[in-house]
Amino acid sequence: MKRKSYLFLTLAVILVLSAVAIPASAKETAAPDQPAVAAQDAETLEIYITGLTEDTQTWFRETVFPAFEADHPGVKLEILTGGWGTFDTDVAGWITTGDGPEIVYLGSEYAATYGDLLADMDAYLSDWEDLANFLPAALETATYDGHLRGLPLLMSPRPIFYRSDLMASPDAALPTTFEESLAFVQENTVVGDAGVEKQGFMDIGGGLFDAQEFIGYIWSAGGELYNEDGTSAFDSEATAEALQFMYDRRRAVLPTEDTPGLPPIEGTPLASGVVVSGIFPMWNVPPTSDPIWENVAIGPYPAGANGEQLIQVFIDWLSVPEYVENKELAGEFLKFIGSKEYAIQLNTVAGFTPVRTDAWDDIRANDPVWDQLLGLAEEYGRGFSDIRASAELRPLIVEQVTLFLTDQQSLEDTQAALKEAYDSILEANGYLD
Amino acid sequence: MANQYRLENIFWALGTVAFIAITSYLIGLVAKFLVKLRGFSETEQRKAFWGALFAGPWISGFFIFVAGPTLVSLYYSFTDYKLGKPIEWIGLENYRVLLKGEGTYGGRFKGAMFNSFYYAAIGVPLQLVTSLGMAMLLNREVKGIRLFRTIFYLPVILAGGPAVLLAWRYMFATNGGFVNVSLQRFADSFFLFDYIYRSVVYVVESLNGFYIGMAVRDDPIGPLKYTFPAILGLLLIGPLAFGEWEESKRNRALRIIEILGAVLVGVLFSKGLAANPINPVWTYAFGLGGVGIMLLNARAEKWSVIRTVQIIALLLIVLSLVMTLEAADFNPTKGDAPKYLIALIVAALPLIVPFFGKWTAFTTKLMLATTGIFGVIIFVLLIPGQLDGGRLELIFRYLTFQSAIEQPNNMDYLEEVFPFETISTMWFYGSIIAVAAIAALLHERYPRQRKVFLYAAFIFFALIALNSFLDTRRYFQDFSDIAEANGKPNYHFARFHEFADEYPENRRVPFWLTNDIWSKPSLVLITMWSSGAGMLIFLAALKGVPRSLYEAAEVDGASGVQKFFKITLPMISPALFYNIVIGVIASLQTFEMVFIIRTTETESSLMSAAFFLYQRTFQQLEIGQGSAASWILVVIIVGLTAMQFRFSKWVHYEA
Repeated sequence: MKRKSYLFLTLAVILVLSAVAIPASAKETAAPDQPAVAAQDAETLEIYITGLTEDTQTWFRETVFPAFEADHPGVKLEILTGGWGTFDTDVAGWITTGDGPEIVYLGSEYAATYGDLLADMDAYLSDWEDLANFLPAALETATYDGHLRGLPLLMSPRPIFYRSDLMASPDAALPTTFEESLAFVQENTVVGDAGVEKQGFMDIGGGLFDAQEFIGYIWSAGGELYNEDGTSAFDSEATAEALQFMYDRRRAVLPTEDTPGLPPIEGTPLASGVVVSGIFPMWNVPPTSDPIWENVAIGPYPAGANGEQLIQVFIDWLSVPEYVENKELAGEFLKFIGSKEYAIQLNTVAGFTPVRTDAWDDIRANDPVWDQLLGLAEEYGRGFSDIRASAELRPLIVEQVTLFLTDQQSLEDTQAALKEAYDSILEANGYLD
Repeated sequence: MANQYRLENIFWALGTVAFIAITSYLIGLVAKFLVKLRGFSETEQRKAFWGALFAGPWISGFFIFVAGPTLVSLYYSFTDYKLGKPIEWIGLENYRVLLKGEGTYGGRFKGAMFNSFYYAAIGVPLQLVTSLGMAMLLNREVKGIRLFRTIFYLPVILAGGPAVLLAWRYMFATNGGFVNVSLQRFADSFFLFDYIYRSVVYVVESLNGFYIGMAVRDDPIGPLKYTFPAILGLLLIGPLAFGEWEESKRNRALRIIEILGAVLVGVLFSKGLAANPINPVWTYAFGLGGVGIMLLNARAEKWSVIRTVQIIALLLIVLSLVMTLEAADFNPTKGDAPKYLIALIVAALPLIVPFFGKWTAFTTKLMLATTGIFGVIIFVLLIPGQLDGGRLELIFRYLTFQSAIEQPNNMDYLEEVFPFETISTMWFYGSIIAVAAIAALLHERYPRQRKVFLYAAFIFFALIALNSFLDTRRYFQDFSDIAEANGKPNYHFARFHEFADEYPENRRVPFWLTNDIWSKPSLVLITMWSSGAGMLIFLAALKGVPRSLYEAAEVDGASGVQKFFKITLPMISPALFYNIVIGVIASLQTFEMVFIIRTTETESSLMSAAFFLYQRTFQQLEIGQGSAASWILVVIIVGLTAMQFRFSKWVHYEA
């Protein structure tokens, strides 16, 4: 009996405590409904940026945040970071459930993925005069349905690098068309008894095919991913030309599917001495101070018969989800971190390539490689944006194009399968009426 | 600010503790009430209260974190739910798409399921052999055995690690990888090894090429689809037909009916699920399956099994009612309703009857009569459709060697001759069940008739197997000729022909992780490397085998092989059974390895069912279809596991 009394007593105490606890925490969450000044007093702005190093996080905490907090009394900033492995699930969870950080880092193709779940920031950003200094391709990436959903943070131009010292004809001009590119790969590939010994071209994944690159070739063949009515344009001549080019290039490296590829490469492919040209991100090439760059030429993607050369520019940007209550404050922070001063500092601290052309001066003056790269990005850059249902498009391209490239499916069947499947995906995702 | 957060955390923690305490107390009260209802004493009620109260945190956790999400995912599986978009109830559409292999995702799920079955069917036996082999090696008394055990077990800890899997990628590199370089060196040095090595390459490439054509590319396999059930018929009916008839043969016949019947009902059910609206034949088929299994178990006096079968069969019937009613084009005003309702009532009645009263001889007779009636109904409903288009003519052609004698040898063959093939293979599997059932019924009462009948059945399956195979060769050849004449690279079974037509040249290397032919064998090899967990179980079991048994066998002059098969294997059968069950479940859930070792070119060929549902749910945010895929996987895993337990008589627990 005594024990039971103790039990009830304990439960009663816990109940009282919890009764106190829940209203107290509810009070915390109720803050945004209170008047603006009071809300400002307790405002916390959480910023999520993927893959930040410890140094960059420290820079945010010790340099950026105190400066912003000084300008905005009562506002507290916090930085969140995470790995790429959980990026999709983390971000999808926040944006779709309406509970997460106020500013969310997104990749190039995500504006179309989340669409109206991201806030229309035109009211807070479109009048900002600094916008004129941003690369148009970058702003395009952060735009959905004609409205800015955030601000570009960094860019990654993806050109083709050529090792002139490994080329069979070192003084030859860089290929500009699909035809010239094929001849180049053929001339610079060596296949021995054991397999490929020297590879004329390597794509970003270390192989001979990449889904993003395929889209790049459709564009450089003069095509688009979508028809005017929003349906997929995979049945276009440009798609056929891009597919055929990728197939022929594969055969120029691997005469048959039974030909073993290159042995595993240690270090960066560009410095391996067995890869003559390829598409690589800047984090997978030697530092630009490396002497190897004296023998590296940089060029845009080759063009098809009716297209123009281009360089795909991948933009990572900071978005503001629709669930954010104080969008004005979020916009303030975007302008703050997007300023010329911090764009240059981010380049120094984190190696981020600024998307503001006025922040390039120092970089271009001090680094000839970046000078060339940024010049090409300005001239040939096309943002990797407006990729609808991107999470479903990539596996589809991988599945179907692999069948074609490995002699398991005809060109016509591949185009038909891509078109049919992507149209149904677009329809299921509400892109088609 | 920090203090506020700290305070909030403390309050939340206290709130959580309060919630757990209150729910545990309530669970205790419920338990006490239930015990009281059953008339137990005050002491027993108190015991129940305290027991449930202390188990309360776990029970409430189970409901919140396991049962709750499980039920929610079941609900989502019936919806079109993409994160961020409104949830829309679509009934069984997700299941239909996935089971029928419809569209991009249905096709991809089908391929993923085939890949998962590959890992289970090829990977698990190889893993068992490896782990048993390692355990037997480590069961010896040699110096440093502890060190060896550690080394052999180490891959279990390391295998799932990305670093180790990346190391495998390097080792499996086609050109210059450790594995291929080693194989080449051995092949160059030893003539016999070179021959064996190339033969293995030839077999692996041909089989995987065929598998890709059949399972992934969904190439039609023509008359070959009759060869498989016919060979199965030979393998199952042959042992019944030849040799002395014993009680064990009748039991074997009953087991054939049970296993093949369960598979057939499962296939019919999935087909029924895919049909829209469901065909009432499937409802009768569920009823027939349920009654058949009840009869078999009544004979073995397994009343609890009968009760389980009744419940499952009734659930299936209720589900088929739901499926029928939710079908978009189901219209009661057009006269369909009575047909469906009659089917449901007729199928459900015999399942309900044994709920009341004991199972008697009369019940058995009633059930036997019911199977006959159901059989006739199904026959009447299905056969007229099957007689269309000269479908039975194909059987006649095979039985009379016409397909082997006729050699059209022209391109018209595919269009003019083979269309007869549209008879469903289900009839062949059904025939095996029917033969086994008739043999079991004739038993020792009509020995001569039984013998003649089994011989006739054996000849029937032999003729079908032989002639359909001869037909298949011509079918493939003509198909390839047409495709090549049209300049299509994707001609029938292109990958199979590519490898089967030519014996590998000298210095030919496996392409391991770089192409669709070798990617699955590579994954299986990596899982074999990490067979240490199974090895530990086997090792413990081997330690438990009494030495005296081996000594007695040695005195009787038994050889090593005899000792292994007659003593070791039966004595470690519980460990073997455990490893099979766990291995099959794990292989059907293969995920991490696929995630890490896949490349652009092998993504499709490696994709497992678990990877498919991850991609669909977490990358493409299609929660509805992802949930449906996970439930299909759950049903398959539970079904296979239940079947393994059902047929685990070979396991001896005496050890």
